[in-house]
Amino acid sequence: MVYTKKVNRFIIALGAAATVSLAGPVYAEGEYAVLMKTLANPFWGAMGQGVEEGAQAAGVEYFVQAVESDQAAESQLNVCNTMLQREPSVLITAAINSTNLLPCLKTAQDAGVAVIDLDGNLDPTILDAEGIKIAFRIGSDNVAAGAQGAEYMVEQLGADATGPVLIIEGLSGNVTGQKRVSGFQDRLAALAPGLEVVASLPGDWDRGKAATIMNDILVRHPDLVGVFAANDGMALGAVESAFAAGKGGDIIIIGVDGNSDAVKSIEDGRLTASVAQLPYLVGSLAVENAQRVLAGETVSSEISVPTMVLTQEVLAAGSEPMLEFVK
Amino acid sequence: MSVKENPASHPNFWKRAQVASEERLHVRLESLVVLGGLCITMTILSPYFLSVNNILNILLATSTIGVLAIAATFVIGSGGLDLSLGSVMGLSGVVGAYMAVNMGLPAVFGVIGCIGAGAIAGFVNGQLITRAFVPAFIVTLGMLGLARGLGLVISDGRVIYGLPSGLLYLGQGRPLGIPMPVIIFLTTALVTHYILAFTRFGRYTLAIGDNENSTRTAGINVERHRLILYTLSGGLAGLAGMLFMARINSGDPTAGISYELTAITAAIIGGTNLFGGRGSILGSMIGALIMGVLQNGLNLLAVQSYYQQMAIGAVLIFAVFIDQYQMRKEARV
Repeated sequence: MVYTKKVNRFIIALGAAATVSLAGPVYAEGEYAVLMKTLANPFWGAMGQGVEEGAQAAGVEYFVQAVESDQAAESQLNVCNTMLQREPSVLITAAINSTNLLPCLKTAQDAGVAVIDLDGNLDPTILDAEGIKIAFRIGSDNVAAGAQGAEYMVEQLGADATGPVLIIEGLSGNVTGQKRVSGFQDRLAALAPGLEVVASLPGDWDRGKAATIMNDILVRHPDLVGVFAANDGMALGAVESAFAAGKGGDIIIIGVDGNSDAVKSIEDGRLTASVAQLPYLVGSLAVENAQRVLAGETVSSEISVPTMVLTQEVLAAGSEPMLEFVK
Repeated sequence: MSVKENPASHPNFWKRAQVASEERLHVRLESLVVLGGLCITMTILSPYFLSVNNILNILLATSTIGVLAIAATFVIGSGGLDLSLGSVMGLSGVVGAYMAVNMGLPAVFGVIGCIGAGAIAGFVNGQLITRAFVPAFIVTLGMLGLARGLGLVISDGRVIYGLPSGLLYLGQGRPLGIPMPVIIFLTTALVTHYILAFTRFGRYTLAIGDNENSTRTAGINVERHRLILYTLSGGLAGLAGMLFMARINSGDPTAGISYELTAITAAIIGGTNLFGGRGSILGSMIGALIMGVLQNGLNLLAVQSYYQQMAIGAVLIFAVFIDQYQMRKEARV
């Protein structure tokens, strides 16, 4: 059994190699397997919804799996392996970290399944080292999102503004958070050199931790003019601290994500702005492009989905066409 | 430890099978029936379930939890508790990867690093429990935080990627088509089953769990035995950490979060008494496989993961219910 399997694989590999040399990779036929982190988080929930509705609209067969939390790395790997048993044609994955799915992605590649990286969780250098070639990655450009935050802050305060600014980072070592922060920092320094970043501290994506940081910094810098937090949860924590300290509305506070809590807070006039990602659009575009890959068309290996700045005015006007993707 | 009845006095086939299963395999017949029933159900429901590939897949998915369940069985069987299993597993993977990648030591040090780090954490647990008289619940709960934090500190919160090929083989190699983690897991299970079921060490372990004071009166050094058990438990958590590290080619500081509870669940579904005195490794392996098959089957059927958690919770309560029901029935006779 095992022996014949090996021989079969060898023949398939030979066949695949022969075809590849003729015309690009040939992918298997079958349904679309979608592996998310967890749907309990509204961001991933919206992206999953985008994938599902995109697949329904395109009329392709699909099945979605997620794990219990966005920390369940091994459990996601096991689910991934199991999904391959159903012999899908496409594996759309939002990996929990850059390495946890590697063995599964390798198996998928050997079986001729097109692998798609949802939201850029995989590290290209690691993929190269492992010899895994993905069809494409799709997601928001986090550096650009940070830069958009800086642009909006400078728009509000003026290019010649001066004063202390606080940055609340994501989880230490997390690439996404680092990109947003560096995008913000670089653009801020370029546009308004008078605004000085007095502290850049990790809030670990945690609302409570961000609130504490905000409290502490307000003690040392009561004249704080701006805050950039690497996600909305932390920005909302900072907003609460600002209002508690009686400085609500005086400080420009910007988050990233555009989740429903942030939208509510912006509408209530508490959070100043959020650089919204459009997870729903990311999901539906992933399916659309996967179809093109299967049809043998070439797609860009890096597809970035735009981000937009949500403010009270933008939300009130409601005329921005991309608003329909804010979930 | 309960007194076994004479099988000849029970002409009933089910009862005879029950006793035989208990005596020969140290496994409760009910859990075997549940596992078999689950497999048959999944085979009927999903065309993808019954294949060599998928069975190996289930064993591979069960390997880490299985090794942790072995550790849980030893400790719980002796009336103790180890809540630090998952965190120690995460720490071990990081230490092993750090030694092999950041320090550039040969692959064998990666293995030593994993198992050694786990054993040291377990040894510290054991010392605190037996010498400082802090309750096991508290000590291992503290170690849960300590080990997780230390793992994050060593790795700087990032995965340590790129193990040497020797270590990778332990996680990704497939001699005769069987994944290495499965081979290591099954070998460990057989060896530890023998130890717990057939050696003096195993008997003492369950004796302490059954009645600590009489065991002490019988002249057994309970404290020393406990210390060895917690060190063994940590070492096994280290082995689990190594398996996962080698599988994903990196030391992940967040590996194994809340795995201690899954491991304890496996042990209890398999018939280990939560308060000690009874337990077998094969039983716990059946428990781990029941969860593994359930998860695999539900994944193949594309059932949402939330329902899977509910299913496992229900199986746990059901397993303990059957256990209690049997014991009450036996007590009435």
